Amino acid sequence: MKKKKKLGIVDVLVWIVIVITFIWVVTPFYWAVITSFKKPIDVFRLSVVPWLQFKPTLDNWYMEFTQRGPEIMKGITNSIVISVSAALLAIALGSLAGYGLARFRFRKWKNQDMALWFLSQRFLPPAATVIPFFLIIKSLGLLDTRLALVLVNTTFTMPFAVLIMRDMFKELPVELEEAALVDGCSRWTAFLRVALPLAAPALVSTAIICFAFTWNEFLFALVLTYRQAIPMTIVIAGTEHTQGVQFWYVSTRLLLAILPPAILALMVQKYIVRGLTMGAVKG
Amino acid sequence: MKERGSFFVVPGIVWVLLFTIFPLVYSFRVSLSRVAYGRITGFAGLANYARMFQDYRFWGVLGFTLIFVIFSVAITVSLGLLLALVFNRKMRGLRFFRALMTTPLFTAPVALGYLGVMMFYEENGPINILLQTLGFSKVPWLSDIFWARTAVIMVDVWQWTPFAFIILLAGLQSLPDEVYEAAVLDTSSGWDIFRYITFPMISPVLGTVIMLRLVDAFKVFDIPFALTNGGPGTATRTLTFYVYTQGLRNFDLGYASAMAYFLMFMSLAVGIFFFRRYRSLYE
Repeated sequence: MKKKKKLGIVDVLVWIVIVITFIWVVTPFYWAVITSFKKPIDVFRLSVVPWLQFKPTLDNWYMEFTQRGPEIMKGITNSIVISVSAALLAIALGSLAGYGLARFRFRKWKNQDMALWFLSQRFLPPAATVIPFFLIIKSLGLLDTRLALVLVNTTFTMPFAVLIMRDMFKELPVELEEAALVDGCSRWTAFLRVALPLAAPALVSTAIICFAFTWNEFLFALVLTYRQAIPMTIVIAGTEHTQGVQFWYVSTRLLLAILPPAILALMVQKYIVRGLTMGAVKG
Repeated sequence: MKERGSFFVVPGIVWVLLFTIFPLVYSFRVSLSRVAYGRITGFAGLANYARMFQDYRFWGVLGFTLIFVIFSVAITVSLGLLLALVFNRKMRGLRFFRALMTTPLFTAPVALGYLGVMMFYEENGPINILLQTLGFSKVPWLSDIFWARTAVIMVDVWQWTPFAFIILLAGLQSLPDEVYEAAVLDTSSGWDIFRYITFPMISPVLGTVIMLRLVDAFKVFDIPFALTNGGPGTATRTLTFYVYTQGLRNFDLGYASAMAYFLMFMSLAVGIFFFRRYRSLYE
């Protein structure tokens, strides 16, 4: 027998929680957006509704792309180049290792131990490697290059890619690859032509997660770059110091730094739980 | 399978060896050395490690790091669990809500820090205006030790509560319905169902969330760097922050490396403690 549905106290409470959570999540973003459309004089008033409480202006955005355009473009370009390269390298290495761990059984060094080897990276604080990295990059003459940040971020994101791709390949039916092998394909062709295309959605999602993590990375960017190779995270850090409380400028830059990974992340919902727990929890 | 799969896993393993283990070994050597002007000038034995225990700043930094870790993890995990329990039902728009909740996770923490500067601004910042409208007095968010620490923790809670929420929700939704139906038939109260059925079944996922949150909280750097710049004084400096200032601003590399090692061992200890219990999730 089905219970009759009624709008009880529980439902009302749930709705209250939904509304509060919604406001809690959205307010900071909303504040940044409206501040970026405010004239300086409106910034320090509690004016929330555009047109009604303040007159929105495009001045800040116009300034951002004209007068301060070159600096911003440099930051965005660097961020894109670094994040895309690191993500591609990470999924290349990650899908190889993930495939190896999923399809072969290793004897000398067991599969679990290798998985643990990659997983242990998750527990390593970046502070532990930042000083040796700085010294090594400096002695290689790679300070303030994008390459340095690509190497660092590949190192941080690859373990994610390995463990997620391992799970994905494990879930693919082996039979298709076996059929390909029987037909005379090499293992390598079976991997490239059969397994990889089947895992493509997971591969794209993993790449997006790696891209977002690299885009948001700050400590190593702060240490390894200072002029030519600075990504967006460093650009916004510089803005605050020189512009003080000119929030109308700060907010435009914050939005430019925040939006790309946040929007991309909306596309990877299916794999997000795995990604965040490195495969421990399937969602 | 008989073929050799090392071809697939070797690149990833070598990469980790090259970019993590090698720097760690190098930094261990630095931590045992006397360093002047960025150059190793002699062997120092354990002097750098001994120095930590006499450095009152180190104790202060360690103290705040622990406060931060305890409060941030406790609040994010309990709020996340609460939300996950509330939303663990069939309802329309859950996917949209969940997607919205992932955006904070993919927002650069350093950007959030500066967004926090806007939100917590003492003179006519939105939070203070709101408090005043509600009849409270202005709060010196960023200039008072207690409130600055609170603000740093609040921003972190804002960012990471969704993490706990999303993973715990995935854990709850993977529990089989039958158990609940049986429990409802036994007319257990809601609290009993939670305590004797839901909680034991969710505890591996909860343990994993706590573990990952602990490990991440020990690494915190971006938010205090951007929001308070470690101030007022050194009240919101974290261990990573202190490693950064000592090592890469003051170039006291030996001492900074020793502290980095200390941080790493704390983080690894936490990781190993939890990992031994929840290892099966990763296999």
